[in-house]
Amino acid sequence: MSFVSKVLRSKPVIWTLIVLPGLWPAWPLFVTMDDTARTDPLKFILLHFGLMGCLLLVSVLSLTPLRVLAPKWDVALALNRHRRLIGVAAFAYALLHFSVQVLYQYDGTLAGTLDQLGRELQKPFQLTGLVALVILLVLAITSLHALVRRLGGRTWKRIHRLAYVAAALVAYHQVSAHKVFPIQVLWIFGPLVVLELARMWKSRTKVSEIGPDDTKSL
Amino acid sequence: MLIRSPKDWELPESAATPERDYLLRPRSSEPSFPRRDFLKAFGYGAAGFAAAALLPRRLAATTAGFPTRINPAYRDPALEPTAYEQITSYNNFYEFGTDKADPKVRANRGWQTEPWTVEIGGLIRNPLKLDANDLVSKMGGCEQRVYRFRCVEAWSMVIPWDGFPLAKLVKLADPKPEAKFVTFTTVHDPRNIPGQRSGILDWPYVEGLRLDEANHELAFIATGIYGRPIPNQNGAPLRLVVPWKYGFKCGKSLVKIDFVARQPRNTWQIMAPDEYGFYANVNPNVDHPRWSQASERVIGAGGLFGGRQRTLMFNGYEKQVAGLYQGMDLKRNY
Ligand code: HEM
Repeated sequence: MSFVSKVLRSKPVIWTLIVLPGLWPAWPLFVTMDDTARTDPLKFILLHFGLMGCLLLVSVLSLTPLRVLAPKWDVALALNRHRRLIGVAAFAYALLHFSVQVLYQYDGTLAGTLDQLGRELQKPFQLTGLVALVILLVLAITSLHALVRRLGGRTWKRIHRLAYVAAALVAYHQVSAHKVFPIQVLWIFGPLVVLELARMWKSRTKVSEIGPDDTKSL
Repeated sequence: MLIRSPKDWELPESAATPERDYLLRPRSSEPSFPRRDFLKAFGYGAAGFAAAALLPRRLAATTAGFPTRINPAYRDPALEPTAYEQITSYNNFYEFGTDKADPKVRANRGWQTEPWTVEIGGLIRNPLKLDANDLVSKMGGCEQRVYRFRCVEAWSMVIPWDGFPLAKLVKLADPKPEAKFVTFTTVHDPRNIPGQRSGILDWPYVEGLRLDEANHELAFIATGIYGRPIPNQNGAPLRLVVPWKYGFKCGKSLVKIDFVARQPRNTWQIMAPDEYGFYANVNPNVDHPRWSQASERVIGAGGLFGGRQRTLMFNGYEKQVAGLYQGMDLKRNY
């Protein structure tokens, strides 16, 4: 086993990798006192948490195809041990992101804030975010050990396919958050799409390899 | 003689913002003189600039050598100007990047805004091509007005602009009767402007106004902020300011002002016609398809959590400008 995979097997290491980047806004806001970040600090934090949630969601979805494509690569195997933790972290960041958005809409009164939030959530831009958040919530709850056992592997797997729907919604959501097409969407979601296509291609060639053998044995 | 009747938004000077916000402004009793003469006193060229650098701060910090004078008619004491640092660090100037932090860095990496030539042409009797400083002298120097600024992204600032009324420029140009609209073109120089080497927008950036909008007394050409020369990231050296419209109407770093007969298409309208229109008047009742325009975040207000306030019709200038749009369906003409 390589050194890298040994390190990546450790839970504290993954926890650190998940939590530390979330604290990043403290640097420009309180250490370097960056004027741009401090001009609208809440927006800065809002965008950062959204980006973290989105990166973790894409990461967790990449792990399965990575394992299928490289079944002997110890790094992929090590990371696959943490799928649940990474998935739940994606939800946690999305929830933080949403909470900051509620604060962002705060206008001094509860009624006004809810009214403003209600208006915003009707737009496809934020509605897609909300649906994605609800999906992640469902996935986080159904990841509890007891529930996984109750549901059974098959049902659990079917429910967890919703993660792909969430990823597609988040991609739309992120594009809508910008006035011109944000190029980073391509390098965030591009690799996942490539991995998934490769996995599909691999399983298809496998099927066709098995195919002729099956007919022979008939 | 014309007797000037005070407008209802005009206020006595005694009601003005405390001086701490205007430490950099020269005394209004000082004579206004253009920068060229100003430098001549110290000799032209490098020596002149060196001398200028040694001047007392109060004097050097004028709008490119044009002492500014506060116009009390445009000083609403209820408006607290946003901090200079925030106005000049949080910019949408896609020519220098799409991140709000980009322009402050990239627009100050050798991009030259001095000297600057601007062309005034089209359906006018007095076509001109002249130096920006000469234009300011022709306009009679600078005055300062405090305006609300509302971005289409639902945030707002309050900005003390220095400059001159656009109507003066229109008068100088002397439009022919066929001229019905005015277009404002931003500089196009992909060599020195990194964002223009990518195709995110249809360069150069173009904005437009109806002639009567351009002639409205609130329409303004800014050459400074807080009595200092307008920084590159805010659109040096000449920037359009139309306070009752969304910020993107305020074309920056203008090189060309054209008088035309037909309604032009502005850059954002070309990019996404269902989201951005020609008029772009601030209107809390007409949402952007992706977000609500009913309220806005007030930059710099209320600490970390900031402040949110209801957006005002025509950004609070309804009394002054509503007449321009009488009988128009503002939901269709967004
Ligand atoms: C009710 C749920 C949500 C709401 C109300 C919401 C709201 C927002 C808003 C207002 C912005 C843009 C801020 C701006 O630039 O003006 C944004 C951006 C973003 N959101 Fe959400 N969001 C939600 C859920 C999610 C979820 C579940 C994810 C991902 C897991 C997510 C990921 C993002 C990303 C990646 C961005 C763009 C960040 C960037 O490109 O810089 N959002 N969201």
